[in-house]
Amino acid sequence: MKILSDISITPGSVVLKGEKISTADISGLYREFIGDYPKFFKMDSLCKLGFIGAELLLKGMDAQDKENAAIVMFNRNGSLVTDRNYQKTITEDNYFPSPALFVYTLSNIVTGEIAIRNRIYGESSFYVLENKDADMMDDMVENTFLTSSPTFILTGWVDYNNEQDYEAELKIVTK
Amino acid sequence: MGDKVIIKIADNIISPLGFGSDCNFKAVLAGNSMLCRHEDSFGLPEPFCGSLLDRDEISDLAKKELIDADRYTFFEKLCILSAKSAIEECGIPAGEKDVIFVLSTTKGNVECLSDDVSDPRCYLASSAGKVAEYFGNKNTPIVVSNACISGVCAQIAAIRELLGGKYGYAVVTGCDILSKFIISGFQSFKALSPVMCRPYDKTRIGLNLGEAAGTIVLKAADSSDEDDWQYVSSSIHNDANHISGPSRTGEGSYRVLSDILKEIDSDDIGFVNAHGTATAYNDEMESIAIHRAGLDDVCVNGLKGYYGHTLGAAGVIETILSMKAVDNGVVLATKGFESTGTSYRLNISNQVRDTDKTAFIKILSGFGGSNAGIAYRKGGKK
Amino acid sequence: MDNLILQLKNQIIEVLNLEDMTPEEIDAQEPLFGEGLGLDSIDALELIVLLEREYGIRLSNPTEGKQIFKSVASIADYVSKNRTK
Repeated sequence: MKILSDISITPGSVVLKGEKISTADISGLYREFIGDYPKFFKMDSLCKLGFIGAELLLKGMDAQDKENAAIVMFNRNGSLVTDRNYQKTITEDNYFPSPALFVYTLSNIVTGEIAIRNRIYGESSFYVLENKDADMMDDMVENTFLTSSPTFILTGWVDYNNEQDYEAELKIVTK
Repeated sequence: MGDKVIIKIADNIISPLGFGSDCNFKAVLAGNSMLCRHEDSFGLPEPFCGSLLDRDEISDLAKKELIDADRYTFFEKLCILSAKSAIEECGIPAGEKDVIFVLSTTKGNVECLSDDVSDPRCYLASSAGKVAEYFGNKNTPIVVSNACISGVCAQIAAIRELLGGKYGYAVVTGCDILSKFIISGFQSFKALSPVMCRPYDKTRIGLNLGEAAGTIVLKAADSSDEDDWQYVSSSIHNDANHISGPSRTGEGSYRVLSDILKEIDSDDIGFVNAHGTATAYNDEMESIAIHRAGLDDVCVNGLKGYYGHTLGAAGVIETILSMKAVDNGVVLATKGFESTGTSYRLNISNQVRDTDKTAFIKILSGFGGSNAGIAYRKGGKK
Repeated sequence: MDNLILQLKNQIIEVLNLEDMTPEEIDAQEPLFGEGLGLDSIDALELIVLLEREYGIRLSNPTEGKQIFKSVASIADYVSKNRTK
């Protein structure tokens, strides 16, 4: 497996290919580096985080290469932050279930948001693990090449707990 | 891919139609369904039509079958009961290092949120950990959370791990239970039919939800016998179109079918067991994808009329039922279908049909623009 | 009516997360879906929830929404005739 580029986003720090490029928060990163995709504001925090990471990593990539790329992501919290927000819309005394929240109660939506933005028609997969186990994730990504032939895989850990506790550690790999 | 072949060595289904794959297959063959209208369930203000397990019955069964049954939630009991039945059928040493557990679920224990939003049981990996731990297995289990396509993706994830060579066996369990959380969400999407669903039919108005658990045990083998179910091909594609609406061109599903047809001749395929949720857009999308893939003449069926949409369990239980159908030389009927209600006429019937073919394709589509498919063949042919 | 239109614009901006938009930037006659604001099917479902929560109007059939949600003006018209709160 060859790593083409990587990014790490945590509160107050964005490191792209080993270079610290920003200290902004997630919305600040959108304004600093993207700014032309109002749908961003409709996403939940997990999607926003993964979306920004993908934007910064995929910048300048060839559209044809992207079409047959795969997106394989992992985390621990799943969509639990949005699950809790949705739960608040279905209490007995205030029952107005929100479809816009419900759709984000699936962690794989982040892979869909990235696919839509980048016209990626390849695989999109999301796995939940107990811990950020780098060896296990690498094994699973390598094994992805055993039954499919993506041009590259956008992969890594994308986990959101709250404003002070989130992490995207993504990379682009080829066989 | 090396010399390994992946074969299925055991399976189990627990559903409102019964305990065990055989009894579920017989019930579906006979046309049974437990879909019905439920009022005042789960504290929902609106009624819904769904297929629900009897929680007391599962609890009693768990008490009899499981050690320390009280440690587990209803969801976890179901997963463990299903896995246990399949593991006992094939007798694999489930606690050993070369066995990996894979869990397919969309929402696991999400119902626990209603009492305590920080309930640690809501972590999907916690449930998967308890299942693996029950069998004494120390490998970190994989949870596949790919919305409605999870059941097929979990099989694919397991197959990759087996082909990767680190493991000899994979226990793939798919399970989801219903709750106020899930049903209210689908209601807010106006996706539910208040009456029994009608896949691919002119009068279809939405889906029904259902509860089930299913397990498939896969083995990496050096060769396969003519009675073995063998993995042939698989594929996952995104529509890159919309996070909740199916593609108008069936793009992702079409690409899935095209990939699979590179590895298997359409003349060998007894049927495509499709998703068939009975929403206007899903079934229309699938008809376009199947047509674009040149499979208009191949039999297509959908099983949601028997179980409703069982979410993370759907891909697993529908794969098992498809295998049983081929074992018995039949294509299962599409319950609820009367007359074509899609742009392209698919080869669908509400009657059980005969087939002498030995392979099938199982496809699914879901939120996030995701689509997945897998093909299995019976027999040693490579 | 102008008050209702302004109130609806503010509510729409809030529930649909139209960040960076002000009520003045939304033309009451402008189509909400397709061109115009470019809303999608999930937004339409969220507008159904808005009508129910804020104005006590229940739309059981989502296809009814197509006509009602044409523009802010058409929503205001429907709300003023059908509101129960």
